[in-house]
Amino acid sequence: MRIQNHPILKFEKGRRVIFTFNGAEVEGCEGEPIAAALHAAGIRVLSHSRNYKRPRGFWCAIGNCSSCNMRVNGVPNVRACVEPLLDGMIVETQQGEGAVGSGIDG
Amino acid sequence: MIKSADVVVIGGGSIGCATAYNLARLGFKNVVVLEKGYICRGSTGRCAAGIRQQWGTEMNCLISRYSIRHFEVMNESLEYDGDVEFRQNGYLMVSYSQKEAAMLKENLKLHEKLGIPVRFLSVDDVKEIVPVINTERIVASTICMEDGQANPFKVTDAYYRAAGRLGVKFYTYTEVTGFKKEGEKITAVVTDKGEIATSAVVNATGPYAKFISAMLGHDLPVEPERHQIVVTEPLDPFLRPLVMNFFHNSYCQQVLNGSVLAGYGNPDEPKGINYDCSWQFIKELAAKIVDQFPVMKEVNIVRQWSGHYGISPDGQPVLGTVPGVEGYYLALGCGKGFMLSPMIGELIAQCVAGQDTTLPIGILNVRRFKKGELIVEPAVV
Repeated sequence: MRIQNHPILKFEKGRRVIFTFNGAEVEGCEGEPIAAALHAAGIRVLSHSRNYKRPRGFWCAIGNCSSCNMRVNGVPNVRACVEPLLDGMIVETQQGEGAVGSGIDG
Repeated sequence: MIKSADVVVIGGGSIGCATAYNLARLGFKNVVVLEKGYICRGSTGRCAAGIRQQWGTEMNCLISRYSIRHFEVMNESLEYDGDVEFRQNGYLMVSYSQKEAAMLKENLKLHEKLGIPVRFLSVDDVKEIVPVINTERIVASTICMEDGQANPFKVTDAYYRAAGRLGVKFYTYTEVTGFKKEGEKITAVVTDKGEIATSAVVNATGPYAKFISAMLGHDLPVEPERHQIVVTEPLDPFLRPLVMNFFHNSYCQQVLNGSVLAGYGNPDEPKGINYDCSWQFIKELAAKIVDQFPVMKEVNIVRQWSGHYGISPDGQPVLGTVPGVEGYYLALGCGKGFMLSPMIGELIAQCVAGQDTTLPIGILNVRRFKKGELIVEPAVV
């Protein structure tokens, strides 16, 4: 299943691109939300709850709930549900609260 | 509502609750606190939670020094069923110009005289303590590792509960609307819920203090000034001390849950009560913070709020009796009420009880503004 109509975002679904999720290569469409590509690839766990470390998945889909906060190209707390996918992105599930200062260009 | 009280404290923030607690400890049996909203609704619950001794006047240094001694043992001394979250992570003061550096040097002499452990840092030391800081324009910096932070809500709650156990009565959502006097003597406080006969009133209303004073015919030159703060999403610990920057007039600190609190003083802020928040503030602040900590450009702001300082003409607290109004006491931290609250509470209670005060608060009496005896605090943000 792939998100075609987003409740608030308009995006052009571009060419097929390759990105990595926790080191593994995944295919998605350029410009669609990162979480849409992950979901289509069958990836359901995007983060873990703060206290009990329970799995958290795709939920509000509009950048509000923090359930999809992920590390993207080294930047913590990126809302994967609203961030457009680009070719070669490095997407990782985040440990702890997210560490600043290890971004690719920072 | 109660009909009479030995002392009525107006204001349910950290100073009001600390004063009420200390009054009860000194043996006052019938102490009442009036709060027009809820406990911590005003400046205490809106402050940036920082606690420092690195001030530029002797009294600010001393009151904060004594307050830190209280914070250090607060969970035990107030028998608090929790943690007031006092953490001595330090305050790092950074300057970008020779003029600001000269102020830090001047302050350091005072700190040495008073036994406050402040030290000068080389740029390498700064980088070691805060690896994410941009050291480019730093001319001088000082640090005091006894300084730090506490949770304003929990500190106030600790005083509130301890005071309650000693019999202090709290009336929230109760607004003072006026007073009754006989000659210069206060005889009663009038509220929207009824009247309380009393001969002693402590004004601990922070930025609202001048409005209370006006009801007593007293002209108090302490003006409310709005300050805004932003808070970011929580992050892993990366910023240990609070960093205060006199060039940007800003501060930035990471609190216990990992969120970063940051704000700056706007020199053009008009005086008055105003709880609005502005996007211009976020824009300006973001530029100041990212300039100091480039990694902060990755970080998301989750909330913004505003609160008020009570600005006194010299940046020092206003404490003690008021000439011309018998039974009226001011307990105003003036922009640093939360961090000074443990000691202000103690000093004002001693003053109301007619005891010698632990520190000479006569210097901070409101009379100084009429006499022009101002000792101006230089190190404010």
